[in-house]
Amino acid sequence: MDGKPIVQLKNLSKTIGKKKIIKNLNLDLYPGQITGFLGPNGAGKTTTIRMMVGLMQPTSGDVMIDGQSIQTDFEESIQKVGVIVENPEMYKYMSGYKNLLHFSRMHKGVSKQRIDEVVMQVGMQNRIHEKVSSYSLGMRQRLGLAQALLHKPKFLILDEPTNGLDPAGIREFRLYLQKVATESGVAVFVSSHLLSEIELLCDRIAIIQNGELIGIKNVNELHHPQYYIHAEPLELAEEVLSGIGFPLAKHDKGLVIDSDEQHIPGAVQMLVSAGAKIYTVQPHRATLEDQFLEMTGGGQFAQAHAK
Amino acid sequence: MLKLMQNEWMKLWSKKASWMMVFLLVVILFASAAITKYVNSTANEGIEESWQNVVAAQQEANQAMLMDPNMNEAQKDYYTGQIAIAEYRLENDVQPFEFTSMQQSVLDAHEMLSLVTLFTVVIAAGITASEFSQGTIKMLLTRPVRRWKVLTSKYLTTMVFAGLLSVITLLAAALAGLVFFGIGEGTFLVWTGSEVMEGSYWREAIKLSVLSFASVWIIGTFAFMLGTVFRSSSLAIGLSIFLMFTGIQAVFLLSNYEIIKYYLFTHTDLTQFYSGFMPVPDITMTMSLIVLFVYFLLFLGISYWTFSKRDITA
Repeated sequence: MDGKPIVQLKNLSKTIGKKKIIKNLNLDLYPGQITGFLGPNGAGKTTTIRMMVGLMQPTSGDVMIDGQSIQTDFEESIQKVGVIVENPEMYKYMSGYKNLLHFSRMHKGVSKQRIDEVVMQVGMQNRIHEKVSSYSLGMRQRLGLAQALLHKPKFLILDEPTNGLDPAGIREFRLYLQKVATESGVAVFVSSHLLSEIELLCDRIAIIQNGELIGIKNVNELHHPQYYIHAEPLELAEEVLSGIGFPLAKHDKGLVIDSDEQHIPGAVQMLVSAGAKIYTVQPHRATLEDQFLEMTGGGQFAQAHAK
Repeated sequence: MLKLMQNEWMKLWSKKASWMMVFLLVVILFASAAITKYVNSTANEGIEESWQNVVAAQQEANQAMLMDPNMNEAQKDYYTGQIAIAEYRLENDVQPFEFTSMQQSVLDAHEMLSLVTLFTVVIAAGITASEFSQGTIKMLLTRPVRRWKVLTSKYLTTMVFAGLLSVITLLAAALAGLVFFGIGEGTFLVWTGSEVMEGSYWREAIKLSVLSFASVWIIGTFAFMLGTVFRSSSLAIGLSIFLMFTGIQAVFLLSNYEIIKYYLFTHTDLTQFYSGFMPVPDITMTMSLIVLFVYFLLFLGISYWTFSKRDITA
């Protein structure tokens, strides 16, 4: 990855009692990139995130934000971070605006103008002066995003941000995050256990299991082009396609072949002239779930769950 | 720090409970003045005792008190002063304040500060604990502000609130007195140690209120510590109020032991040095101030230590 990392986890570890919750985590995050943080429940996602924002103290190791340690230069480093930890809990007895005012006073250089700007950005100008207790979950989530963006952070960290949102809300949230990342060059770190959600949102995923980082992959790398072809009779199609030299595998009712787009018309032509009836030809994406299970070795995932 | 206190102040007054406290305080002060007026008008019918007789009786009683050999300096001073003032009144025909007068309600206002203690305990216990129970602590501590600053702003805000309630108590007592009794006859006298002089009753009332505030302050600090350590406002409120009542009772139980001199509640009432009544005679004002200060450091020390070390898992 090009550029300097904005966030670095260095041998981050946490021991609670005798149990090692987090074991020597090393991870770099880059500007403009959305990194997903995946893992089964209890793998240590939340603990890691809490150590990254100063809510928990690491037993050993450190978190560097833009070159400054979160432990020795807390105020300077955390100034660059916007945080949403699980459901954004606000002061329900105050209006959304007062909540934002409250948090803005805790940062240096957030003007009233900036508050209005953020309110517009998240589209809450009509209801910002109503009490938070009257807001829906989606509105609260947007207010949560607003408070995280107030001070123009270079790094946005979100713990299970889409918990409890409806599909439209999730989509809106996703598009918004992607906009922030690409337009302002903000590094985003999102934890979730929703694989499909992470797949749509992220450029890169880091997978944690039992407190250990077991893999970091770019989402694009995960996808080499594949096509799904359903043709009858199947045996004939298989014979023809493997005859041309496509690597293939059976999937569902048809076949999945590894191939670039440009070879597909030719393949179809061959199948037709061989007398096969073609029902479906479509691009095929292996889901992240498949990849995830592959990486975590499937069974272990279930084991971790059972723990 | 000012901005942080502004935040705490805003949150404090956004809660209905805070306004309710001010409202209740004023209502109780007015109600007690009204009740005093009513009781006085029915009970004293037909009994007309001149103030000279009352003062003479008090003088006699105080002289008897002075005979007690176990008295400490503060108590001796007090009774000597009271006797001198009584003599002066009888000689020069200077009347004390009537019991039902605005001036007397101002002078007695400090006794109502126990109510302020109660309200302060509620606020002090909740100001940190509620952040935990609402889950807003996560939002609060992921800001570029060190934890000790957050806690300091909360503590100072609590104390400003307590101070404000005390001022309201004094003013409401004056207003209630004015409404129900009016400005009564009489002159306020003070004993300087060598002579009797006319004095300002407002000054005396403020002095007594400031002395009574020590109790608000230390018990408020105690509740603040419990709220911070246990993260549960109900536990902190319950425990503080329980200790407030039993703690003072325990002074009488423990009065024969040496330990009583270092016991918090022996020292919480600083007006004892100016009222002649002291459950533990062998203490001085200086000693009380030192003991209170040590407890204060202890309470705050524990609060800061737990708050800045704690892992937030809420």
